[in-house]
Amino acid sequence: MKHLINKSLIASVASALVMGCSVALAGGMDVPVIKITPVLEGLDKPWDMNVHADGTMFYTEKCKGLSMRSPDGTVTSIYGMKGSSGYSSAGEDLFCEGQAGMMGVVADRNFDQNHRLYVASTSDQYHGSGCKTNFERCDGNIVMRLTLSEDMKSVTDRTDIVTDIQYKPFESNQPFGGPGAHNGGRLRVGPGGYLWISGGDRHRGVCPQSPKLLCGKVLRVDTDGKAHPDNNPPTGFDKRIYTYGHRNVQGIDFRPSDGKAFTAEHGPWHSDEITALVNGGNAGWDPQEMTAGRGACPDKYCGYEPEQMDGMDPAVRASYMPMSDTRFDDLMLPTWNNNGWSQGTSSAAFLKGENWGIYEGRLATGVLGIGFGGTPIGQRIDMVGITPDGLGINAITRMPLGFSKRFRGLVMAPDNSLYVAVDEGEIYRVTAESMQ
Amino acid sequence: MIKLIGPMSIALALGCSNSVVAGDASAGDQLFHESCHACHGPAGIGVSSYPKVSGNPIEYTREKLIAYRAGQKFGPNSALMIMMAKPLTDEEIENLSAYLKDAKYK
Repeated sequence: MKHLINKSLIASVASALVMGCSVALAGGMDVPVIKITPVLEGLDKPWDMNVHADGTMFYTEKCKGLSMRSPDGTVTSIYGMKGSSGYSSAGEDLFCEGQAGMMGVVADRNFDQNHRLYVASTSDQYHGSGCKTNFERCDGNIVMRLTLSEDMKSVTDRTDIVTDIQYKPFESNQPFGGPGAHNGGRLRVGPGGYLWISGGDRHRGVCPQSPKLLCGKVLRVDTDGKAHPDNNPPTGFDKRIYTYGHRNVQGIDFRPSDGKAFTAEHGPWHSDEITALVNGGNAGWDPQEMTAGRGACPDKYCGYEPEQMDGMDPAVRASYMPMSDTRFDDLMLPTWNNNGWSQGTSSAAFLKGENWGIYEGRLATGVLGIGFGGTPIGQRIDMVGITPDGLGINAITRMPLGFSKRFRGLVMAPDNSLYVAVDEGEIYRVTAESMQ
Repeated sequence: MIKLIGPMSIALALGCSNSVVAGDASAGDQLFHESCHACHGPAGIGVSSYPKVSGNPIEYTREKLIAYRAGQKFGPNSALMIMMAKPLTDEEIENLSAYLKDAKYK
């Protein structure tokens, strides 16, 4: 009996302790103190960054080139584009036009040994004879592997490892219809050191569902640009393709808990999306004319239809021209769709480190802000909590930064701070300090 | 007297129709940052693929906005500008033109 009482008592005490503990936690959530400080100002359309343990930061400016900020604040212009000045050297084939230019940058996982960076850019070197109209392949987006000198101030070797991602060469009859539309362009190194390349549909209807064209795809390749051996696209597809059916992916990162890839992409005046990628999966974007009940469309691209030049209820547009068309059996359902709005989701990065408190593990997602047809502009960074299966969210909180800008590039630094590039010309460092 | 009133009336009428009330830059600032800045950036500096729109003479900005409002095209993003300019009143165009003439970022 005494034994039983003791067991019961111990259980009660344990239960009370547990309950007390949980109450204490609920009453004292670890909400971190978030601060933002400028790192660089006065830049020309900064697009992406890559930050190293000692604070060295490589960054791209869309119409200028690749530069490095050293830990002491010194800036070195490393590799420029056609027409740029002040760079150690330049690629005369690299150009910017509309949304296109020098975009993503990421370091090799063995950067300390090999000094290799991967950079996405628009190039006229591989156009061939395929850029005479908007309705043929036009290879104009490339990924370069740059080897830097010992002092990292110049490029000693450039090897173009992917040269056949399509580019839009001419204006078309669409909103945002200028040349250079929808390139994706974010690069990240994922598990195993493989390179992930996010793409866009370049305003061509056939791109996203095409088995051979690389526009509207997410690629997973090795550091020579060869397909990852485990990529599993449908039969007949280019083996470099990890997922297809995308519109314009400018955000990609890997969940720290399981390495799963997530993308963020712009919607067509409705439905910005975060998506958990599935090897070989279809994101469900198919803007071809004469497809899925649609007739002819301006310049054979239905992406902004119906009534593409007028504002309307986003739900009406979504039913006519869905971002994630459920007619596809291999559809990857979106994790989140911005409540049906398009405000221009851009880059995304998982918040790593206990310093982020209750936000650790959430996906920081930058929103550029687009306010047509009655949609609120919405410039912000959201911290999105994603369910374990990747098919939904369980929390969403706006990052308290104290201002709104066009948040273009987000990337985590090794010290668990978040670096943020804005179109207005600045790069910021966001730190979080746990209060526990 | 009648002879005098006639020309004066004509002059006044002409004066009124040709005069442009000076725009209110402060009101233009507010309007610009309610919608235009999302594409053209703060103070109209031009961001992403959207052009710089500040630093131009008032007449230039006024002329462009009136043309957009009337549906005229000037480039690949005209459709967006036509949509944005459609609801603008003359007064709002004057205010925006006045603000953008001297708008500066930082």
